[in-house]
Amino acid sequence: MIEVTGLSKTFRVHKKEPGLMGSVRSLFQRQWHEVHALKSVSLRVEAGEIVGLVGANGAGKTTLVKCLAGILNPTAGSASVLGSTPWERRDGFRRQIALIMGQKAQLWWDLPAADGFLLLREIYRIPEAEYKRSLEELAETLQVGDKLTTQIRRLSLGERMKMELIAALLHHPRVVFLDEPTIGLDLTAQRAIRDFLLRYREAHQPAMLLTSHYMEDIERLCARIIIVREGEIVYDGGLQEVLSRYAPHKQLSLRWDPAPGEGIRSDLVPASLGEIVSAELGLLKIKVSRSKVAEIASLLLQRLPVADLNIEEEDVGTIIEALIRKQ
Amino acid sequence: MQAWEFRMRYLRLYAYFLRFSMSRSMEFRLDFFFRIIMDLAYYAVGLGFFHILYLHTDSLGGWNMHQMRIFVAGYILVDAVHMTMFSNNLYMLPRFINHGDLDYYLIRPVSSLFFLSLRDFAFNSFINLIFAGGIVVWAVGTYPGTLGASGIAVFLLLILAGALLYYCIHLLTILPTFWTQSGESLHQLFYNLSRFMERPDRIYRGSIRLLLTVALPFGLMASFPARLLLEPFNWAILAQLLAVLTGFLFLISFIWNRGLRAYSSASS
Repeated sequence: MIEVTGLSKTFRVHKKEPGLMGSVRSLFQRQWHEVHALKSVSLRVEAGEIVGLVGANGAGKTTLVKCLAGILNPTAGSASVLGSTPWERRDGFRRQIALIMGQKAQLWWDLPAADGFLLLREIYRIPEAEYKRSLEELAETLQVGDKLTTQIRRLSLGERMKMELIAALLHHPRVVFLDEPTIGLDLTAQRAIRDFLLRYREAHQPAMLLTSHYMEDIERLCARIIIVREGEIVYDGGLQEVLSRYAPHKQLSLRWDPAPGEGIRSDLVPASLGEIVSAELGLLKIKVSRSKVAEIASLLLQRLPVADLNIEEEDVGTIIEALIRKQ
Repeated sequence: MQAWEFRMRYLRLYAYFLRFSMSRSMEFRLDFFFRIIMDLAYYAVGLGFFHILYLHTDSLGGWNMHQMRIFVAGYILVDAVHMTMFSNNLYMLPRFINHGDLDYYLIRPVSSLFFLSLRDFAFNSFINLIFAGGIVVWAVGTYPGTLGASGIAVFLLLILAGALLYYCIHLLTILPTFWTQSGESLHQLFYNLSRFMERPDRIYRGSIRLLLTVALPFGLMASFPARLLLEPFNWAILAQLLAVLTGFLFLISFIWNRGLRAYSSASS
């Protein structure tokens, strides 16, 4: 559905020195420098997939989404979305995609959502019966049926975002780009939107590319993530595989009732088992290789009078955060 | 058949723009009436200016007072059509380009230029357009000679062509915003240059004339339609008007597409 090869986008921006003199100088002699927003990015997304694009601010996520939606012309590389090059902006292509941006509204501020939907029906030439059906279905799932005739600006942020989602999905796009769809929403609204997206995926199987700063969004929605850093893809794979790749260890914590005066005996817990994080009387924390967790745990259970055993996994979010900043 | 459906679809879209603009324009009352009064003053100044000139002379560039009145009514109509259909949209366009607000227009399977040029219909100016129409009726009605119905119909059509040309040039002064990020000065230039429309083309000679009837065709938007109505029919000026309009339509669509390639969609 989406196929990208070697996509690069370079912006030319001019540097302005601070202060009035800097402004005067830049009037005559402008210093340009290039910002490489995307550096030779390649990826594929199939129908029915929700792929999470993760990265810090300015990492290039939004630029990538905008290139694939046909808004930006890339500097180099190629992309094929539904078989056509997005930035040629063919009507056949545009009729089958949708873009939802949490930061930019598409519906007309002073009008009720229902009016905006009518315009979209005309733009996408949605047949009357199909329009009615999909509006009903979307409004019901998102529980905003009673708000359709309220002016957009009188809606809450969450309700507005739901309307934006309806607006974007009325024409049943086969490829959906979501750029921070839950930004600024409270937890209930975030959850509602996430549930909705999952149900929508189930029913219509579009290819979805999602960017979000909320790890919760990513963890709940995406089986696969792409981590972007400074315009480059540093990871593309399963969400859970991030753990095995970047968190090869799990931490075992063992607690037991120590006999008075007893220390950790190195013959019972040799350093070869793993890295000892902390060892005190009655409490041992040891980092062991992910593949040997079971083996070592049972070994230690035999050797120590363990009362309590805990196997801790590093949090995916924390690992991704670390990857985004720098390994 | 396809072309027909294409046109009908765009007409239906335009009907939506009208509906939406209507419900929004009533929101800001003060602004609504202010603009009506401003433009009526502009019409009065135009008519008054030539009225005073004709107290001192009988003929200007070959036209008597009655003929000049039709010309003035013509350019008022050009202005009113532009103010009603295009002006608000073009006024917003530089901000849209700079703030990255073109995004949603670019993903729709409709001409983005059509959308952005016509989405806001100015109902206050529409009231002025009715006044402008009244001025045309008055100018034609008080004309001592005979003007055939078909001549008047052609005149009105060509005035519309003139308005379209006026829009093209206005847009051309805005499109550099794609590259410069600020189009203010050029925009001002447009308003200054537009004064050339308010004088009959005959007063321009030599290279200035060439400039004002081809490259910056303010000289022909209202003058040529008036000449075609008032003077013996002249194929050459009709052809020139249509050729210049076609040229400008191609030019704006070319530069628009170039601009979109440079569009940087200021990040959210």
